[in-house]
Amino acid sequence: MALESLYLDPAIRDWVLFPITLVMILVGVLRHYVTQLLNSAPKAQLRKAIREQRALVRSQILRATAAESPIPPTYYHSISSSLSSAFAAGSFLKDGPPKEDDKDRTPPNPLSDPSQMEGMMDGMKKQMVMMVPQMVIMGWINFFFQGFVLIKLPFPLTLGWKPMMQRGIETPDMDVRWVSSLSWYFLNLFGLNGLFRLILGSDNAAADQQSMGASPFAAASGAAATPGAPQDFVKLFTAERDNLDLSEGLYKWTGADVERRVLEKWGKLPKSDAADSVVPAVSASKRKTA
Amino acid sequence: MSSDDARLQLLYAPHVTSNTATLATYKWLCTSFAGSIAGVLGLENYAGFALFVGSIVLTSVGVWVLLCGGKDVDRFVQGGWWEIMNPGQENIASFILFWTLFYGIVHVYD
Repeated sequence: MALESLYLDPAIRDWVLFPITLVMILVGVLRHYVTQLLNSAPKAQLRKAIREQRALVRSQILRATAAESPIPPTYYHSISSSLSSAFAAGSFLKDGPPKEDDKDRTPPNPLSDPSQMEGMMDGMKKQMVMMVPQMVIMGWINFFFQGFVLIKLPFPLTLGWKPMMQRGIETPDMDVRWVSSLSWYFLNLFGLNGLFRLILGSDNAAADQQSMGASPFAAASGAAATPGAPQDFVKLFTAERDNLDLSEGLYKWTGADVERRVLEKWGKLPKSDAADSVVPAVSASKRKTA
Repeated sequence: MSSDDARLQLLYAPHVTSNTATLATYKWLCTSFAGSIAGVLGLENYAGFALFVGSIVLTSVGVWVLLCGGKDVDRFVQGGWWEIMNPGQENIASFILFWTLFYGIVHVYD
């Protein structure tokens, strides 16, 4: 394979290479700030709705550390039993305790619930802000910077990459390493994410989320599943009540036998293994009087 | 519960976040400078990727010696050595970008 060396006009470097990179960086920063401006302030929810969600979170936090719990038994059991009885009675529910009829137990339809519509619209707006500039830049590059070789890749690629990397250049024999401007656009697209993270902070809106593995559907489903309306809190509360009962079985205070552990650590008490724990109390008292 | 969960409970979240961010910054700086060096030197093919791997190893060892004080890595980073060394897709792309850019500027253009 002939590694012919093409001579490229330095004007290409000045007028194509740098401008494309500069434009992509600036558009990325612009996207980030536009997204921030578009962020509508979170709607103030009713106190009862918030209480409903927070009650669930409280019991989850309690359960999460149940096996090595930092809170003493009296507190743990009192919180656990009060939450459990509140869940059973449904006193935290937004609309009051559940009525007897089961007819309207269906969770509200996401499309008809106005609060969810706003969430989904927000997600879609963000997707548009991400996608539109990318498409515009791609069109701009295709229009102005088409039909010539821009740069040579330092590493080889297979022939399969040729149509994509050399789009617009009709040379069947040229090495795939000589690429067009569009491939420089793609290189920039993937490579500038790290730069954006550095200058804009971790949760910036400029980085290309799709290439990072997060699917575009995640935004829509995330908006629909935000804590609140579609979830049936009655069922959640009954499930949480069972979980609380389970955790009470697992519960163990970390400070339960702390006196014994401290004494053992300082050697004041012989270490009691399960294997040779044969009435250690007798020898201890004998030693004290001696 | 396993002892792993008990250990997880002891992690202080803001410290973990700041450690992760610091590590990510250093990894990106390492890969982008390595890319620039590879481009300026005119390394091609395997030589370039060898520099990439070498720079990652050098940076990881540097992080271990200077930031972790040479102590056990698990105390500082959850996930141990692999977490420090793993560049991730983002940094590989940055390396290739800088490598191509500087290779083009220095060696391809007149």
